[in-house]
Amino acid sequence: MHPLTRLHRTTIVGRLAARLYLLYKLPALRRRLTGRPKATDAELAPLHAKAADAILATALRMRGVIIKMCQAIATRADVFPPEFVERLKACHDAVPPKPFDVVRAAVEGELGKPIGAVFAEFAETPIASASLAQVHAARLHDGTEVAVKVQYPDIEDIVRTDLRNMERACRIYERVDPQPLELLPLLRELTTHVGFELDMEREARSADRVRAMFAKDRGVIVPRIHHELSTKRLLVMERVRGIKITEKALIEAAGLDPADVVQDLMRVYVQMVLAAGFFQADPHPGNLMVTPDKKLILLDFGLSKELPEGYGLGLFELMFSMMTLNESAMVRAFQELGFETKTGDTSTFLLIARRMLSRSESGAFEGEFTEEMTDELFEAIREDPVVKVPSDFVLVGRVFSFLSGIAHTLGSRANVLAAMGAGPPG
Amino acid sequence: MSTAASAAPTSDRLTFTRDELLSSGAYEAPLIAGEVRCHGGFEADGTYRSPRTLHRAPAISAWQARLAREDARLIEIPRALMPPQYPNVAQSTLLLRHGVRDPIVRTLTIISIVEGFGAIIRDVKVPDLGAQVVEPVEGTALAHLAQGLFEAHARDESGFKDEGGHKQMWEAARDLALEKPKIPGDVLMRMMGRNAGRGRRPERPFPQLDETLERMLALMAQVLVVEVFAEGTFDWGVELLSNPEVSAAPEAAGNMVRFVRADEKPHVEYLRTALSELRARTLRTVDGKTIAGREVVDGLLHRVLRQITRNRPREQREDIRESLIEAMQSAANPRALLEEFDALESSWTPPERTGFEPERTAAA
Repeated sequence: MHPLTRLHRTTIVGRLAARLYLLYKLPALRRRLTGRPKATDAELAPLHAKAADAILATALRMRGVIIKMCQAIATRADVFPPEFVERLKACHDAVPPKPFDVVRAAVEGELGKPIGAVFAEFAETPIASASLAQVHAARLHDGTEVAVKVQYPDIEDIVRTDLRNMERACRIYERVDPQPLELLPLLRELTTHVGFELDMEREARSADRVRAMFAKDRGVIVPRIHHELSTKRLLVMERVRGIKITEKALIEAAGLDPADVVQDLMRVYVQMVLAAGFFQADPHPGNLMVTPDKKLILLDFGLSKELPEGYGLGLFELMFSMMTLNESAMVRAFQELGFETKTGDTSTFLLIARRMLSRSESGAFEGEFTEEMTDELFEAIREDPVVKVPSDFVLVGRVFSFLSGIAHTLGSRANVLAAMGAGPPG
Repeated sequence: MSTAASAAPTSDRLTFTRDELLSSGAYEAPLIAGEVRCHGGFEADGTYRSPRTLHRAPAISAWQARLAREDARLIEIPRALMPPQYPNVAQSTLLLRHGVRDPIVRTLTIISIVEGFGAIIRDVKVPDLGAQVVEPVEGTALAHLAQGLFEAHARDESGFKDEGGHKQMWEAARDLALEKPKIPGDVLMRMMGRNAGRGRRPERPFPQLDETLERMLALMAQVLVVEVFAEGTFDWGVELLSNPEVSAAPEAAGNMVRFVRADEKPHVEYLRTALSELRARTLRTVDGKTIAGREVVDGLLHRVLRQITRNRPREQREDIRESLIEAMQSAANPRALLEEFDALESSWTPPERTGFEPERTAAA
């Protein structure tokens, strides 16, 4: 990356950080000088909205890791106010593609030969574009249809620069704010995840691993990787076609029962997350499809995650204790999963669990982590910052919450316990 | 240690409230399994009394007595149909003696989880039986399924609030006998291997019935068979975990399984009573006709028994075999151990008949 570009990005991030700081601090200072109490959540809401809009505008302009940061914020209702979460969700869909010339140069740079030497056809318009890469349809000379995922040029350099800038901004913020949000752990987590996504060789290995996991299951498709054509920045894979998993009308038109599709989806995710402890951690509808012969297609293994050994059993124990309203078992499960309180007082766990359960119709866990329950969990944690929440749990919670959203779109329920073979009967 | 399903006397009462069927009454001392307070407890003479049996046990006896008065047969699932446990007691003892603990720890953990899953019975939708059954159902176990019987069953299996149930009791038996062993990381994977079926609706054996009724009866038939066949698991658990050669706490661990076995008795009894009551009655079909309850109940039991006796031993063996051989690699001489292990295997051929073969009766 050109030094001037780097300087330009640093300046923009610095300006944004200063703007956000003043946006919050000037009104706070005014209140203090005039002897008024601290602003309430309701009074802060317009400021949050303004700040989120400013971040979103900068992200869409600069792309790169700032977009990833926005996407991460949009999934962390446990840390950020709802105005941020809602507005920054736009980053999931709003990334414009790069021009084809840029893509061609990147592909040829990785292959070390002209695009035509490898591909008989290469669609100029991408199938999908995201913050770090975009995907094009292509055809090999032997007629094989493939999907080509290519990283944007200079993206690693851009990411490094952006992460450094964001870390600086966070450190300054933590130094000047007497009660700062804990942004640095979030940034570290983001750094790890972006690192995963930038390594397409890792993504290829993750896809292979999940494919092997379901090798005996004809109902699951993970596109095959053309390893001989793939590199750290280029992924050439089997092109698969299916119906987007949230397209209920199309699923029904294909003669499939959406409830069966949800059951299959849950079975596959429960097997990955709870049983195997290795999973595709980005189950948004764009990454999940179903074929007319009822096979589930899993795409995009950039954000795949390995859980510590025994974590799945711990998650199961938490769900089980919530199902049976067994509070001492809930506390044990929270602790086994890595939750901590600063004082060692475990009653906070129970408060969190009770708030989650209060969002369930029956007052007990019925096998499904609904979006409402997950929102309530994050809300409770945000309001009571004494709890340390393990990032693995946040990721799993987010995955099951996404799945619940998909299930509800299809008019069904994302029942984790049923997917384990536990019913419900009928 | 003696056990009693209930200390309460029998009576002629046939109608009970939900609260009564869920009540345990007072105990002299609670049951503490490991460090977990569990359900049930002890009488002054040290006898273990199962939870929620203060009224449930005499209620079941009264419903069974009524059946006898009506000359209706109480369903009996023949123990001869029960497939053997794999690995059996001798094989399991051999493994533990050679320090191969993972397969036994895994099996005990899966048993505890599956017991806990029994709680799903509370989610069964119970149809309006008054409308579905031609004859009256008042004063029967059938009429009490949604009035405490399913809920009591669910609480027994999974525990309720701060009282552990069978899940925690099996965990305690495992932890006592094997001194809090490390749980193999693949437990859920092994368990899901076969249980988590693909999302396909099962074929309906009696499509002429109301679907909710059919599902409820199918589940009851399945749970009854599983509960009866669990006797084999209890025999295995008691014998293995009471063996001082391989168990660190033979008395406490063995007793824990005995308590679970005592708690399960009311489950078998209420399920077979309710199914027998239905077997002696007539069901309405969705097209306005009727069908003999006997045809439905026997048909469902036959299907479950045939499936379990034909497939379960082979499936269970296949599921466990690979991880068994893998675990044996830690032994001094894995090959010799496998040979000795295989030589101890129980041979078993499923009986030709289930005893519930359908005998078609004409629809009215």
